[in-house]
Amino acid sequence: MKKLCGFTFLIFLCAAGCLAQEWPSGEWILERVDENIGADNKVSISEMVIHGRRGSRSVKSKSWLQGTEKSFTEYLAPARDKGTKMLKLEDQLWIYTPSTDRTIKISGHMLRQSVMGSDLSYEDFMEDPDLTNLYEAKVIAEETFKERSCWVLELTSKGGDIAYHSRKIWVDKERFVSMKEERFAKSGKLLKTFVVEKIERIQNRWIPTHMIFKDELKSGKGTEFFLESLEMNADIPDAVFTKASLRK
Amino acid sequence: MIKFLLKGIIRDRSRSLFPVITVVLGVSLTVLGYSYFNGVMTSWMQTSAKFEAGHMKIMSRAYAENADQTPNDLAFIGVENLLADFKKDFPELLVAPRIRFGGLFDIPDELGETKAQGPIIGLAVDLFSEESPEKDMLNLENAVVRGRMPQKYGEILISDEFARRLNVLPGQTSTLIGSTMYGNMAVVNFTVVGTLRFGVLAMDRGTIIADLADIQEALDMKDAAGEILVFFNDFVYREEAADRITETFNEKYSDKDDEFSPVMVTFYDQGGMADFMGMVSTFQGVLIFSFIAVMSIVLWNAGLMGTLRRYGEIGVRLAVGEAKGHLYRSMILESLMIGVIGTILGTVLGLGFAYFLQSKGINLGNMMQSSNMVINEIIRAKVTPVSYVIGFVPGLLATLLGTSISGLGIYKRQTSQLMKELEV
Amino acid sequence: MIIPRLAIKNLMGAGIRTWLNVVVLSLAFVIIIFFQSLYKGMGDQAKEAKIDIEFAGGQYWHEEYDPLDPLTLEDAHGFVPGPLQEKVDKGEAAPILVSQASIYPEGRLQTIILKGIDPKQTIIDLPSKFLVQEGDDVPALIGTRMAKNTGLNQGDMITVRWRDAKGTFDARDFRIVQIMRTTVETVDQGQIWIPLETMRELMGMENEASLVVVAKNTVNIPAVQGWEFKNLEFLLADIDNLIKAKSAGGSIMYVFLLLLAMLAIFNTQVLSIFRRRKEMGTMMALGFTRSKVIQLFTLEGAMHSVLAAIIAAVYGIPFLVWFDKTGFALPQGTDFGFALGEKIFPGYSIGMVVGTVVLVLMVTTVVSFLPTRRIAKLKPTDALRGKMS
Repeated sequence: MKKLCGFTFLIFLCAAGCLAQEWPSGEWILERVDENIGADNKVSISEMVIHGRRGSRSVKSKSWLQGTEKSFTEYLAPARDKGTKMLKLEDQLWIYTPSTDRTIKISGHMLRQSVMGSDLSYEDFMEDPDLTNLYEAKVIAEETFKERSCWVLELTSKGGDIAYHSRKIWVDKERFVSMKEERFAKSGKLLKTFVVEKIERIQNRWIPTHMIFKDELKSGKGTEFFLESLEMNADIPDAVFTKASLRK
Repeated sequence: MIKFLLKGIIRDRSRSLFPVITVVLGVSLTVLGYSYFNGVMTSWMQTSAKFEAGHMKIMSRAYAENADQTPNDLAFIGVENLLADFKKDFPELLVAPRIRFGGLFDIPDELGETKAQGPIIGLAVDLFSEESPEKDMLNLENAVVRGRMPQKYGEILISDEFARRLNVLPGQTSTLIGSTMYGNMAVVNFTVVGTLRFGVLAMDRGTIIADLADIQEALDMKDAAGEILVFFNDFVYREEAADRITETFNEKYSDKDDEFSPVMVTFYDQGGMADFMGMVSTFQGVLIFSFIAVMSIVLWNAGLMGTLRRYGEIGVRLAVGEAKGHLYRSMILESLMIGVIGTILGTVLGLGFAYFLQSKGINLGNMMQSSNMVINEIIRAKVTPVSYVIGFVPGLLATLLGTSISGLGIYKRQTSQLMKELEV
Repeated sequence: MIIPRLAIKNLMGAGIRTWLNVVVLSLAFVIIIFFQSLYKGMGDQAKEAKIDIEFAGGQYWHEEYDPLDPLTLEDAHGFVPGPLQEKVDKGEAAPILVSQASIYPEGRLQTIILKGIDPKQTIIDLPSKFLVQEGDDVPALIGTRMAKNTGLNQGDMITVRWRDAKGTFDARDFRIVQIMRTTVETVDQGQIWIPLETMRELMGMENEASLVVVAKNTVNIPAVQGWEFKNLEFLLADIDNLIKAKSAGGSIMYVFLLLLAMLAIFNTQVLSIFRRRKEMGTMMALGFTRSKVIQLFTLEGAMHSVLAAIIAAVYGIPFLVWFDKTGFALPQGTDFGFALGEKIFPGYSIGMVVGTVVLVLMVTTVVSFLPTRRIAKLKPTDALRGKMS
């Protein structure tokens, strides 16, 4: 049996070798990537370290996500932001701060501001993480990135309302995790990059736990993102994703 | 002869009083006028100084570099210590730390949810400290249209037009959404206690005036300020002193290698001010020249008149055998004395008025109904060293010239005609 | 009629004294008119510059457009409606598309306003002709203030990032083809001009605009749904207010000047009354009533201002005309926050001249009258003997 297994594996390897001439479709890879991220309920705690001209500071938050449409975030640190909550339902965003006891709707232009002074905008957070919905994908190369063999995919907008017209992503061939991403303007100019520094296995999935985001037009060292904990398939009551829960 | 003439001037009222009064009035008008023009010109400057530039301004080096973008992320931190030291070095100067900021102003409905929202620009100044010059400087009290001045922390003023547009009434609590100096979102409640009229369209559209401490707290700018405006305590800009202070300050506090160390710039150093003041002095030059020209003619006129008036006296003096040259010289000497007396008195009088106007100011707002605006047109005179001497030009020269020219008439008079003229 | 004739005779007879007074008064005339015209010229010039380079005959604003609220700009655009497009096609209007964008001088994000304008438009005096695209580079036009703030020079490339109608980021390098020197800050500060069609294409806003400027003196202003016409009165209100405030400051100066001139007149009046006692006595003896004498002397004084007006006209008109031609030069690089060129040209109006003349005439009359009240107490007999009681 063992032998057989070994033989099959050999054949598989051969097949893989042959397939290398014919790369898998971009769409297929993207689906795997989306699958790995998953569209289920998640609860996570993360820390963002923002490197500015005056030194660095960090912001810690806990998020509840349901599918791609609903998210709820509560800030845990620093002290002055503790208790600030954000609710996103589709493309709408509300913010609640305990000190003011106000629920404020964030309108279009405010969404484009950077989050907590980072290299990310609220919109970056709010976009549909399901890339297959937004982009046509094409494999354009194979490259090794951080000692991992990757497919390089070129993503082009399907034409919807979308922030980045095209992207280039480096997808780990085995783990189907996007290891590096470049986001481009319509003109093809590089606007933002993000690079995965560390990946961990959490609940049978490969999850990036340390990433660096950078706005390429700005000077500076960018923003680091650390995932401290992640619970997948979490049980989140629907009531979390209501405006009422902001005040709780 | 001087003593003799002086006695004449003092004793003979008709000889001295009227000419002296004319010279005094003319000279004092010149001095006052000069000081007033100075004031008019500087009031243009004062408005920029009070609202933007200060007489001197302290910022962090990094902030100064991008000052036109008001980059609060580069604001200077350590205001308290710096100002404590600064006040020891320069106790006579007034300081006004400020923060300019932008953001959204959000008006809640009964449920505390967004009812209306609008963009604002904000100016945070020290509203409550005893020693803060801001309240008077910005004329806030007079500019309140509805409601009242803030009396405690958490109270702010907003522009009246903005309040009307967003339907905010004094007493209502609203929320400022801005960005902290580190870029975090800042969401803070304030109570609108009064509305202001600024008199400048852009500011009336949406401006809030808040207390510095409140905004430092709100924008996470503890002990920080975007700009620290420094003023001479009489609000009169002195270029040389400002240069000297700036040099001393920068030597002591500023570090070229630390972009967050403070740096001081003078009023003139800031965007285009030097050019602006250049043009102001051109303007001033034209004005003063015209004024002195007119004044000189008036006094010359008076000098002439004085001689003409004394036609009879001159005739008698010639008749009794006084030499024409002697008479002419004595007339000139006399007018010179009248000129000196009048000029000194006039300068004193004019300076008195000028100083009064310098401290009190003329409120053109009363005519313009703009005294109830933040940016108004209170014009103060400004006394400079030149104010002390400017009166001598028309006061002495013109009187002297007037007498010299009219006095030439002495030489034309024929002794044979004298008796006829003197028949009364 | 005897009094006016006498007054003229006496005035002329007084020779140099009269002329000195008249010269002083005429100077007051000329200076007051000079400064008033300077203020008016300043206002007119600022307005004219704004009209030439920005407002022309007024602007239709898209209902969401508010130049003072850049945050709302993303919604402030729409198809140029039929009646306006007609004007555009006939060359009677120029559409402008406005949008927010970012630039990154020295790696710092700076928000700017991107404006698209037809390079061939002739409605406003903006040097849009430089924006004719040659080759691949998008040509961009900025003002001197913007150039100074960002450190940009002609020929430089600048990366501009914006979001199109769909919210998609786009960024390009624009080539600065021209740096314009303009007195109007509001078409310069924080703004980049690019060709309208290029901008429409980049933004995905075919045939759209944020505002439409109509040609000067356009009479036909149709109401257009979703667009609001802003007339010049509205657009220029700020300048009007500013000038009003400035000329109020100037009016104090006129007071000083008039005071000076009146000092001279008063001086003369007092003197002539003192000197001409015998004359008065004679007149009274001949049957003049006191009030007639007072009238005569007042008229004589007041006539100074009439003569002054004539003299002022003689040398003032050439001066003011010359001044109108050459202007009042301002130092280079001056910025007033409102549009002033390197020279201020005066602006005259009939109202200004007539107003000044009437004012001076009235004040002179009052000042001439004041010393004559002493005449009322005069006894003809004393006066004849040269005594003043």
